[in-house]
Amino acid sequence: MSVLTGVLGRRAGRHGPALALGILPIAFLLVLFVYPVLRLLLFSVENGSLAHFEKALTDGLYVQVLLATFEIAIVVAVICLLLGYPVAYLLATASPFWAGFGFALLLLPFWTSVLVRTYAWMIILGRNGIFNRTLLELGIVDQPLALLHNTTGVLIGMVHVLLPYMVFPIYSIMKRVDMQLLSAAEGLGASSAQAFRRIYLPLTLPGVFAGMTLVFIISLGFFITPALLGGGRVMMIGVQVERLVRQYLDWSLAAAVAVILLAVALGVAAFFRRVLKGDLTWT
Amino acid sequence: MVRPINALVSGLAFAAAAASMQAPASAQTQPAKPAQIVVNASGGAQAAALRKAFFEEYEKRFGVRVVDSSPADLGKLRAMVTTGNIEWAVTELNMEDAVRAQEMGLLEPIDAKIVDRSRFPANLQTRTHIYTRSAYSTVIGYRTDAFPEGKRPKSFADFWNVQAFPGPRSMQNSPIDNLEFALIADGVAPDKLYPIDVDRAFRKLDQIKKNVAVWWTTGAQSAQLLIDKEVVLGTAWNGRYYAAIQQGAPIAIEWNQGGIKESAFVIPKGAKDAHWGQQMLAVMSDAKLQAIYANIVTYPGLNLDATQYTDPKIAPHLPTHPDNLSKQWWQDVNWWVKNGKDVQDRWSRWVIAK
Repeated sequence: MSVLTGVLGRRAGRHGPALALGILPIAFLLVLFVYPVLRLLLFSVENGSLAHFEKALTDGLYVQVLLATFEIAIVVAVICLLLGYPVAYLLATASPFWAGFGFALLLLPFWTSVLVRTYAWMIILGRNGIFNRTLLELGIVDQPLALLHNTTGVLIGMVHVLLPYMVFPIYSIMKRVDMQLLSAAEGLGASSAQAFRRIYLPLTLPGVFAGMTLVFIISLGFFITPALLGGGRVMMIGVQVERLVRQYLDWSLAAAVAVILLAVALGVAAFFRRVLKGDLTWT
Repeated sequence: MVRPINALVSGLAFAAAAASMQAPASAQTQPAKPAQIVVNASGGAQAAALRKAFFEEYEKRFGVRVVDSSPADLGKLRAMVTTGNIEWAVTELNMEDAVRAQEMGLLEPIDAKIVDRSRFPANLQTRTHIYTRSAYSTVIGYRTDAFPEGKRPKSFADFWNVQAFPGPRSMQNSPIDNLEFALIADGVAPDKLYPIDVDRAFRKLDQIKKNVAVWWTTGAQSAQLLIDKEVVLGTAWNGRYYAAIQQGAPIAIEWNQGGIKESAFVIPKGAKDAHWGQQMLAVMSDAKLQAIYANIVTYPGLNLDATQYTDPKIAPHLPTHPDNLSKQWWQDVNWWVKNGKDVQDRWSRWVIAK
């Protein structure tokens, strides 16, 4: 972008063309993002009353489902981090051929419909699914494991969908790390564990925070995967909002719940930005 | 002052319209023909059946292309009508949503001059804004390899009896039907279900809860659970089990105590293609076309003449077949319109509670 604006800037004025380039995206955001969000806010404070927020924050059902949603989103983000960080490291340090191969493996499911992948998990994880049958035949277990229609199933399905959102930001940061810094640290007497903890990890933290933020926020809105893999017992707030909007036409309460979700998402994003800028200490 | 050429054109149009529609055409000139209309429905296998039975005929009759979309969505209907940006000429809705939509003034009245329901059951002819397209039933289905001949569940008392009929079960993740099933299992006569004793129904549901392995969300899921042997006994919409049986799954349907209900098509208030939506409902009322539809998905149309055109092999699989109809109970949609939201909240609390 800066190269482009630089080239254009030399031709005609300093900011004019850059601004011209920005008009379309800005208009796009105003019309399709800012305006709908404002409308949503207006819906939630219908007649200037905060009653819908009061209901959303005091009704046991909504509080319980909101908390369950945050809990699942956090657990999914942490599992994605534990799986995604080593994957990103392998991709960042592999030869171009193996990196390409790894990306293909990561991206293929990414381009498949979430619904199809969710049904695929049902075939794999079920009581008589491929996984359990294999375990039973190998004599590893004598009862099928309960991997589906509970929180475990929901976590597996969501982590599968969201893992690329963790890997890509971490990978892009890792690619920029100067590996000679690690050699220098080890040359100065650091063990490889120390070099990782004090050099590599801090340098890749921006990618970790970006990935955590993305995965957490996308998780909050998850909907069909938990409904299908959770056996109906795992309810996320998206299901409630959908029901209020589509079936009961209580758009004000739905908007209030959505605004609360948005506020939490923004809060999490702001928190990670502050951590990143060093306003909060991190050791 | 009518110019001869205009009179000729409208005369021709009238003749053509009269010839192409069995229903008497109104004397007024028809609104301009759009290039296409959008018919919104539930999607899935049903979309293909709607096309084969009704849309192909409609396109032939009027030269108007029919585009289908899904899913049925009361929220979207309300958004369309309130903003005046109405894409649909016709949309499917479940009865509860249709009644609510009518109460909120979101629907065009059905034009009796175009839509001929004279061969429908009397109680359906008088519906002013709701066109009853079909009837479907929530029924018991089970694996025939889990319950051999002579040991098959035949009622909701059996469904609740986990000693005599062991194995994981599935039911829809919704209070609708399930409260009624619970009351029937508890001994309430099917004609005494309404008004529903909600407390009693939930007390009975408590007894079965831990044996319900899956509370299903989508129709596709409901049948797949039995196919995958994830559960051995469940409830689902009759057409879903029928499709699985057609694919060779060892599943049987028990019609006894099934909950039968209407499914509705409606025309959004102010739809620019409302007239052509009415014509679609007219096509859907054709007994022969209804039979084509029923033969594919086992959801019957309600034109009484449709039965004589239905494949005799398919007829016993229809919820409206006399042998089946006598075993089922009709859902009281008005009770659900009035109490649905509160009961749904209570259901959500109940289902996620440990």
